[in-house]
Amino acid sequence: MKTIILTLAFVLPSVLFAQLDRSVRPEPGAAPSINIKDSEVFKTSNGITVILSENHKLPKVSFNLVVAAAPQLEGSMTGLSDIAGSLIQSGTTGRTKDELDAEIDYIGASLSADNNSIYLSCLTKHMDKGLNIMSDITMNANFPQSEVDRIIKQAESGLLATKSDAGSMAQNAVAVSNFKNHPFGEVLNEETLANINREAIVDYYTKTFTPNGSYLVVVGDINKQQATEMIEKYFSGWNGGDVNRTKYDVALINDGNNVVFVKKPGAVQSVINITHPMEITPSNPDYIKLQVLNGVLGGGAFSNRLMMNLREDKAYTYGCRSSIDVNEYGSSFSAGGNFRNEVSDSAIVEILKELESVTKDLVGDEELAITKSSMAGGFARSLENPATIARFALSIIKYDLPSDYYQTYLQKLDAVTKEDLLAVAKKYLSPSNCNIVVVGNEEILDKLQRFDADGEITKLDAFGKVMKEMLPADITKEELINKYIAVSTMTSSAKELSKKMKKVKSMEEVTELKMEQVPFPLKSTRVWVAPNSSAEKMEGQGMVFQRSFFDGSTGGSFNMQTGKSTLSEEEIAAKKKSIGMFPEMNYATSGMEYELLGIEKRDGKDCYVLKTNDGQTESFDYFDKETFYKVGSTNIQKNGDQVQETSLTYSDFKVQDGFLFPNKLIISLGPTSFEATVVSRTMNAKIDLESYK
Amino acid sequence: MKKLIFTGLLSAVSFLSTSQREIEFVEYDLDNGIHVILHKEPATPIAVVSVLYHVGSKNEKPDRTGFAHFFEHLLFEGTENIERGEYSELVEKNGGGLNANTSHDRTFYYELLPSNQLELGIWLESERMMHAKVDNVGIETQRSVVKEEKRQRIDNQPYATFIGEMFQRMFKTHPYNWQPIGSMEHLDAAQEEDYVNFYRTYYVPANATVSIAGDIDIEQTKKWVTKYFSSIPKGEAINLYRDLETMPETEFIGKYGVAKSDFDAKTKAPTTAKAKEVFNKYSNTPVKIERTQKVTERISGITKDVIYDNIQLPGLFMGYQFPEQTHADFYALNMMNDVLSGGASSRINKNLVERKEMAQFAFSFAYGLEDAGMGIFAAIAAKDVPLDDIQTEFDAEIEKIKNELISQEEFEKIRNQYENQFITSNSSVAGIAENLADNHVYNGGAKSINTELQKYMSVTREDIQRVAKEYLTQDARIILHYLPKEDEK
Repeated sequence: MKTIILTLAFVLPSVLFAQLDRSVRPEPGAAPSINIKDSEVFKTSNGITVILSENHKLPKVSFNLVVAAAPQLEGSMTGLSDIAGSLIQSGTTGRTKDELDAEIDYIGASLSADNNSIYLSCLTKHMDKGLNIMSDITMNANFPQSEVDRIIKQAESGLLATKSDAGSMAQNAVAVSNFKNHPFGEVLNEETLANINREAIVDYYTKTFTPNGSYLVVVGDINKQQATEMIEKYFSGWNGGDVNRTKYDVALINDGNNVVFVKKPGAVQSVINITHPMEITPSNPDYIKLQVLNGVLGGGAFSNRLMMNLREDKAYTYGCRSSIDVNEYGSSFSAGGNFRNEVSDSAIVEILKELESVTKDLVGDEELAITKSSMAGGFARSLENPATIARFALSIIKYDLPSDYYQTYLQKLDAVTKEDLLAVAKKYLSPSNCNIVVVGNEEILDKLQRFDADGEITKLDAFGKVMKEMLPADITKEELINKYIAVSTMTSSAKELSKKMKKVKSMEEVTELKMEQVPFPLKSTRVWVAPNSSAEKMEGQGMVFQRSFFDGSTGGSFNMQTGKSTLSEEEIAAKKKSIGMFPEMNYATSGMEYELLGIEKRDGKDCYVLKTNDGQTESFDYFDKETFYKVGSTNIQKNGDQVQETSLTYSDFKVQDGFLFPNKLIISLGPTSFEATVVSRTMNAKIDLESYK
Repeated sequence: MKKLIFTGLLSAVSFLSTSQREIEFVEYDLDNGIHVILHKEPATPIAVVSVLYHVGSKNEKPDRTGFAHFFEHLLFEGTENIERGEYSELVEKNGGGLNANTSHDRTFYYELLPSNQLELGIWLESERMMHAKVDNVGIETQRSVVKEEKRQRIDNQPYATFIGEMFQRMFKTHPYNWQPIGSMEHLDAAQEEDYVNFYRTYYVPANATVSIAGDIDIEQTKKWVTKYFSSIPKGEAINLYRDLETMPETEFIGKYGVAKSDFDAKTKAPTTAKAKEVFNKYSNTPVKIERTQKVTERISGITKDVIYDNIQLPGLFMGYQFPEQTHADFYALNMMNDVLSGGASSRINKNLVERKEMAQFAFSFAYGLEDAGMGIFAAIAAKDVPLDDIQTEFDAEIEKIKNELISQEEFEKIRNQYENQFITSNSSVAGIAENLADNHVYNGGAKSINTELQKYMSVTREDIQRVAKEYLTQDARIILHYLPKEDEK
């Protein structure tokens, strides 16, 4: 008996143990259906369609109000709707902006608005208070002039940043090329921004934010009766006229590939988008199939075709992807990424090849399976966020989708076949009727010629406007520099100049910088000591963030994060090329490479463009053709594959101590830009260079 | 991926992970000692599979610190059945996401997957527990990754060493003396054998809590848990199994007295009577894990030190000894801390930062751990403000909260804040799975997840004053002055 029990004891665990071959990987179960509760839909007497999706998991509720207006052409006021949208929370007839902010914070709610919607999320027990504020901005926004000015100023800085940001430039060129005579093809620029005013903003708001045809999506811990009461209480007094629902046709490309080029001086990479409009809306059953196709091609798991070919196989790029944007007002397809200059043309060849391949041949079973399951997972995980449910509820009503559209999304996804993909690829993708949009260095331009069906490359500026060619200069580079120096030093002969400069032993310039991201002002101090020493430092809140110095032969820097370092041989060589109070005076002897490229418009004015290179930084300096003031500069610093571009715009020129200096400076660094103002400038002061070491 | 958390820093919010609504779950133990917790939340067709190993930096040897966190990295390297690099790939291509974190007290791993991939997640975690690849290739790779992590997160961050400095002085004998990131020299000095031993001691079924939440069928999930986790050998048999896979034949025979051929080539199950006997013996030998003890000894006197760092503005850090996070007083201590430092309207922020402008930043927090706790007051001085003046202000706030009841209004605000936070927390299944496992390991049972808010709501104003008096001991504390390196002469 004892033996039997013992035997059982060691047989038992091993029985279980023996059953499992661990190298066998589990198979997934059937695609789950999604438990999204049906939404209640009802209409209010003033024309709001309420979509209520109850979810009592947490005592929270959200209200998303979307008005019915369709995007319209804005012409000379392009950008008006976006500016208006960002001003809706800036004050009402009954509350200042500070009061609005404080009241929302007090109940811990979040409130946001854009050009056609307003969104509130809060605890259910605070919804009365929250809706009071939301309905106030919906009906009574009053757009104080000071806020209008502030937002427009912000937008100006944004535009400056666009000029040095290849991604934004590409986005603008893609929009303009794909959507001709269509609201999606209009791009905000300095001229249209200047035309936007408070009156137009108020007019836009009054005509757009009306209940007629609007949707109010309510999601969360609230029942129908409460929702009805709340909406009656806060929105029944809302009224207004019919909104403009005019839709614009999308013009498909049917005359072969068109190369669109946007010049980005000094770029080492090209931003390439191969793109075209598509005729499809979200309610089309082909939409899911097109999503799967895009997944296989370049939108899904890491192992998609574009990534495998252009990154893993060819190593042309860190990432190459495709995307589809399917919208009720206008849809498009795009594929591309960032590519080294030398391989930009090869990349276009390979992307087009991949596009053609999916329009000619069936995709493989495994790539289809991986794409579908990666998409299914992403879809499922997105549902944990209640905002996703709200978006679905709205789509169902807006696009007239079957009410179980999202519940059965995964089954529909699962049912997509490779034959379906070939069919939608043939129907919607058009590899021989694309806009091939390239933002990059002009030196690659010749290599793009062959992709353009009629051989004529369209050249656009940063905002998608057709670019004017650079005109040849009518003076020499030496003449330009002499004129600039004469104007800046207010002298009229070489003798006078030399006499005047001898008297200047040093200069100290203190500038104050304001950045949105930094709550306190930053102070920058630059000094120059005759003949060849210079130094600068940046500080704020009593801390020195960085400082640097150069004494004509050696130098170094200190950075709060990385500590002290000394200048390298190369850096010293570069510094030696721009010495002096006006480095331009010494270009002829300092070894600086410089070249006058021609005449180009900058901010609407003709400017001479002088290109310089000190071995570390390539600069494009802009001199006003009429006044010879130096009005701007674009500096490109390369460090291996890393490129940092800084764009400077000078203004507010004033005479001080017999010299002409700019007193305002706008600095753009990638997508951000900030303003600097000179607060003091002292000539011949005693300067302690040691404090910069 | 693979982040190191300072649980303490987060402890002030970790309790927020419970909510008013009752969270239902089932829990049970497997024969091999694994504790299983299952929570069904069908709202979204996703599931999270997590495993909490009750091993943190406090289980390390003083000359081998950083092991627990290092293992968190190493265990993404693959298993006997999963190629190097494939672990993450399997999850991602199946629409999932994954991550892990390590504290002083435990290490936590999870996969978030579509619910029809639940079995995959269970298999992946069972593979990690059964026979992860602990070899030199992975050790070398992850060593350099961890070093970069330490440079980025601690060495290169101004003031970031203060937690470590504080713990060193507060816990002289307890292994809270060092931080989870540990010593890079220790990691370098360690041999493959050290790593293997750590895995064999702490990555065993009896030290694991499996917590699964989401859109799951409880019965089916139990079956899969049985299939993949019950099949993991019990006690020291797990290590016999691991030896079977990695140990050379002669060594194996020498150690166990049976040949590898006495086990099935594929399933590794013992096939001969002798092998079964050996296997059974090892199954019944528990893996020995030495547990640390709660810190009972109180610090005495004032320890004052200066630390030079890559900073511009001096910093003041004061540490007080608090009880462990599960101690009844800890709830009141957390609420006391909120009066002092919870949000923009709190006492410290209003007085030191906004009104008197003495500090750039000033705050306090309650750091709770399994064996001990700590209250920390911290301030980065405004320009030219002496640290002693800041300390005077801190001391005045401390005296005030010890000597006067907090106002009814402050009390209400804090209770409201707690309610808000509780409601918003536990909104994700991944969070719920982790909270359930934590409650099981620390708070005497997963069910505590449902009583946490009540514990806070029963704290009175008098309780807050009492704990302030008891734990904010002015004659027993640690005071650290952080000064710029340039001042070090």
